[in-house]
Amino acid sequence: MTSITSPETAGPKRPPSAHAAATHTRRRGNRPSGLPWILPAYVFVVGLLYYCIIETGYLSTLDWDGTSPDPVSVGAQNYVDIFNDPVFWKAIRNTIEFLVVTFTVQTALGFVLAALLHSKIKLAGIYKVIIFTPVIIAAATMAPVFRQLFAADGQLNWTLEHIGLGFLAQPWLAQSSTALPAVMAITVWQFTGLTFVLYYAAMGQIDPEILEAARMDGAGNIRTLLAIIWPSVRGTTVALGMLSVIGALKTFDVPYLVTLGGPNYATEFLGTYIYRISIPSAHVGYGAALSVMLLILALVGSLAVAVRANRERRSHV
Amino acid sequence: MFEARTRSARVVLQIITTLLIIPFLFPLIVMVQGSLAGQGWGNYRAVFAVGAVPTFFRNSIIIAGSTIIIVYVLTMLAAFGFSKLYIRGKEIYFWMLLVALTLPEVVLLTPLFATTLQLGVYDTYWAVVLPLAALQIPFTVLLARNFVDGIPDQLLDAARVDGARMTQAFRYVILPMTRPIAATIVVLTLLAAWNNYLLPLVLIQDPAKQTVTLLPQFFVSQFSNDQTKVLASAVITAIPAILVYLLLQRFFERGLAAGAIK
Repeated sequence: MTSITSPETAGPKRPPSAHAAATHTRRRGNRPSGLPWILPAYVFVVGLLYYCIIETGYLSTLDWDGTSPDPVSVGAQNYVDIFNDPVFWKAIRNTIEFLVVTFTVQTALGFVLAALLHSKIKLAGIYKVIIFTPVIIAAATMAPVFRQLFAADGQLNWTLEHIGLGFLAQPWLAQSSTALPAVMAITVWQFTGLTFVLYYAAMGQIDPEILEAARMDGAGNIRTLLAIIWPSVRGTTVALGMLSVIGALKTFDVPYLVTLGGPNYATEFLGTYIYRISIPSAHVGYGAALSVMLLILALVGSLAVAVRANRERRSHV
Repeated sequence: MFEARTRSARVVLQIITTLLIIPFLFPLIVMVQGSLAGQGWGNYRAVFAVGAVPTFFRNSIIIAGSTIIIVYVLTMLAAFGFSKLYIRGKEIYFWMLLVALTLPEVVLLTPLFATTLQLGVYDTYWAVVLPLAALQIPFTVLLARNFVDGIPDQLLDAARVDGARMTQAFRYVILPMTRPIAATIVVLTLLAAWNNYLLPLVLIQDPAKQTVTLLPQFFVSQFSNDQTKVLASAVITAIPAILVYLLLQRFFERGLAAGAIK
């Protein structure tokens, strides 16, 4: 996990952990306990978050509207319902499609842009700001903009018509076939700045002599990019993979604000579904069961990526 | 990374880059242009005339500020404890914190809603600040611990030999050295708190306490969907974030690069 921390932020060179552990053991005698130091953060985080998780686990066994004084315990019934709930499976399918497409596009775009802006381009400073600005603007702020941009009489269709692609114009958000791609496009717009910055930093670490040597051997631009640069930023790509898995499962703001999960559940995600079930529809028990499923998926997903990354790192050493 | 030896190759490279940049600029242009459609600057005057903008900004500043203070203090204390002091079963504690990194906030909604109602903090700033800070701390502790690990133990020992108590050593030796990571933590927390939408949406009802991320929706109901004024409010919301970014560009990019894991 720590391997992706860029050297600048990681501060002074970090000693290998085995060495650090040995130092700690040797000095334990004259060091007071650290427990009081970590306790405030620990009580706060574990207290609040773990309490909420346990509470969610308990709520998931109830049939409750959130206000009635004595909720009915239904055991595992909510979970049985989930497996027979077509909207749940639709949300899972949307999440997977979303993950595959956004990860691929963001990675490719961020990588290529980082390589291009490392290549003595004019206006590079301004370009970097333009790519990165979407990262810092809240999705909630941009939502009305994208609703208008993708509307039937919106700027996207206007532009398509004016560059001779008028036959492509369509009501992007109003039909099931194009609503999810639109949500994906918004997400790519938002997060490519992040992949770009990461790749840009990672490429700055590549030894110029290696590139020079490759060029001497007659490797062209594309060859250098694929054979030298892409493998050397592998760590960043793995980190981005993990980020994308967690990000896809957390997706809420964009589909909720731009398409409301619709039309016909085309942009329903677990986040939007849980929200709608728990708060406006007040099926608190069922929403909690869905939350538990999401939690398990997030844990399994990030563990799977972490284990894979670990194995790869070992096989590379 | 690309090498362009001839002039025409350089031009081609410049054109490719520019074409790739345009889609990133396009929505921002749509936003500004849309906000000036119809009555032009009158849209902005109409938005400010409602009087809600300063209130929403003040609320976001209070929430982000309190979150930053809590996160900073608890993170620094914990990072020092985890990195430099002896704790039995330390790594278990650490992993229990790290697990919370993957937590989607939507999972917390119902328990938070119920608990804040019970404790009487529903519809107050605390209802948003506390979960925001709790969600941020696992990550900032990870960052800060890595950083403090890089500070040599000898510095601390030297201070101790000179008779400094642990609290003094922390205050006068460790804290000054952690400034770079502290800046990163502040920027990351600011961004997370300022841009959060879901927590204030669910936990704050009173329009007098709502945050800037709820501003566009507020104006949707206010102007019965007059898109130009909604977009004007979006521009007003985006400008401070962009200004802060331009001023602190270095910390933002560095912090987010480090924040990739989140």
